[in-house]
Amino acid sequence: MRSLFLALACLLASSTAWAKLQVVTTTTDLKWLAEQVGGDLVEVESLSSGGQDLHFVEPRPSMVMKVKRADVLVRIGLDLDMWADSLVSASRNKKVVYGAPGYVDASVGVERLQIPTDKVDAGMGDLHVFGNPHYWLDPSNASIIADNILEGLVRAEPAKEAAFKENYWKLLRALTEKLKEWEKKAAPLKGVKVVTYHNSWVYFAKRFGLELFGNIEPKPGLPPSPSHVNKLIAMMKEKGAGIIMAESYFPLKGARMVADKTGARLVVVPSSAGGLPGVRTYFDVFDQVLDALLDARGGKP
Amino acid sequence: MMNALLILSALLALPASAEDPSFTTGTMETAAPPQGMRGRPINLPDISVIGVMDGHLSDYKPDTAKDKFEFEEVETAFQGFIYPEVRADVFLALHKHGAKYEAELCEAKASFLRLSEGLAAEVGKIHVNFGKLNKMHTHHRPMIDQPPVLTNFLGEHGLVGQGGTASYLLPLPFYLQAEAGAWQGEGHEHEASGKTTVVDTAGNTVEVPIYQESAEFSLADKVFTGRLKASFAPTDKSELELGSSLAAGHGAHWEEHQDEAKVYGADLTFKLWPSSYERWAFQNEYFHLTRTVPAGRLQRDGLYSFLNYRWNKYWDTGARFDYAEGAFPTQSIERALSALVGYHFTETTRALVQYKYRRINGGTVNEGWLQLAFGLGPHSHELE
Repeated sequence: MRSLFLALACLLASSTAWAKLQVVTTTTDLKWLAEQVGGDLVEVESLSSGGQDLHFVEPRPSMVMKVKRADVLVRIGLDLDMWADSLVSASRNKKVVYGAPGYVDASVGVERLQIPTDKVDAGMGDLHVFGNPHYWLDPSNASIIADNILEGLVRAEPAKEAAFKENYWKLLRALTEKLKEWEKKAAPLKGVKVVTYHNSWVYFAKRFGLELFGNIEPKPGLPPSPSHVNKLIAMMKEKGAGIIMAESYFPLKGARMVADKTGARLVVVPSSAGGLPGVRTYFDVFDQVLDALLDARGGKP
Repeated sequence: MMNALLILSALLALPASAEDPSFTTGTMETAAPPQGMRGRPINLPDISVIGVMDGHLSDYKPDTAKDKFEFEEVETAFQGFIYPEVRADVFLALHKHGAKYEAELCEAKASFLRLSEGLAAEVGKIHVNFGKLNKMHTHHRPMIDQPPVLTNFLGEHGLVGQGGTASYLLPLPFYLQAEAGAWQGEGHEHEASGKTTVVDTAGNTVEVPIYQESAEFSLADKVFTGRLKASFAPTDKSELELGSSLAAGHGAHWEEHQDEAKVYGADLTFKLWPSSYERWAFQNEYFHLTRTVPAGRLQRDGLYSFLNYRWNKYWDTGARFDYAEGAFPTQSIERALSALVGYHFTETTRALVQYKYRRINGGTVNEGWLQLAFGLGPHSHELE
């Protein structure tokens, strides 16, 4: 009898899960934002973890099943998560193919930075033809991302539009509060000279007024070469860059060496929810990064 | 309220559609959602070139390809959609055959990505989905040479057919795909070494070509294939793939050998990602060949076991064990151990070094390769 109840409970739980709109995202930040907009009406899975380099996610068959079940796919776009294309093809899910109502490119409407204006080729490293794709690292872009997600959810489930909109506005109110808090907190960082490992913090720097003047990578995606590192060290000494930012997944040997030679502080930061222990949400990412930068600058977080 | 909204909009630089809580966006009223940037806004397929240069050292004296460094292959790919949910992929190759470069239609196929729920199909000239490595183009494989079990049982260029295949992703909580194909198999063409005259069963003297017994075996004529592949994710950072394959048809020189052949395959791959770039991959394939000829039935086995470790974004290393029996009546057994190191400049540009120690029919051979492969332009392969 007990087994029967258990089986019924499982059946009920699974049917409730399936009644929810199934959303799959390519990143954990998009997952968190989709959960905020979808609320209890959606079930969201991310194809990558927060500690992964999003240029380097290996598509695998188990991910195909997540995409196959999805009503909505939310992706970063701008050719960052191109690995998702092979998963969509393999899943044969008509609902989430490019152009279908369940396909959400979160970058639509974002003001893109560093759009190449000349010929692009592999000699320039892993350059993205549509501009720098790390736009979610400007938290004000979360409103645009959330808007794209909202539209996708409404297309997939028009009957629940009112509930989605209510969640969306709740998220925007929370975001407004957090933006005020982060702007205030980041005030001492204005004009601070920062070197980053990869060219991924331009949106963040623009939002909070940091001055970026170099990367540990000589060109996007390439490993640091001795000549580049030497040049960078000389520049950092000359210009007084005191902070090096590196995402938690990058190899830190080169960055540590530069830090040692220049006296700069190496700050290991998450670039997505789940990127470091304790960084569970998209908002946590900015809390953590700003605290770490303030700490490195010598001010209290 | 209006003031609050204005402040909110200014603070967040909200998109126009979200300025009013009761908004109805233009995009919501239309069927097509706004699309992000993807590819290039011109009506051209993705065009790419892959170049492969190989250097080969060997202490096997009869090996005519040894002690050379040369351009081995150039592959040009044209890829794109030809109709909604139908894409075409054409791979043209120029590769070295002996002293000459020969042009070959490596693959050319139309893929129907979504025929119905879970069902897809491909037609054209295709690398047949048999086991793990056969479908992969050589520049995409994590090793330079082809494991001898594939060469002995499927041919030097693997199992490539003209025909079609349909695959069905079963509606289960885990990945299980069934696939069946029918092909006009192409045994790689080899010229006969000469002609001789024989007396046929009716007592007539006829001229027949001479094919050396050492010529490679492959399936040809009407070939039927099947594959079942399952995959599970024991943890977030690991994947276990299991597969079984079958190919049945005539031998490539059926007119001479009158052979019916079946190749059975089983494969197991386990991958583990301890961190963002680190990856362990343990890949194994076992093939069993039955070849029925008028004089009797041959049964042959072969396998390889490959362990690969990528320790950072750029470097990986691996080791492979091979065991392969020959597909011919004369018994031959090859055992080999290989060690590899690779450096990956980009997704399509890499350098690989491989050393291989072979024991074949009692003799030993030491071989080494250096391969440089580069990619120009957007080049993609389906999920493997």
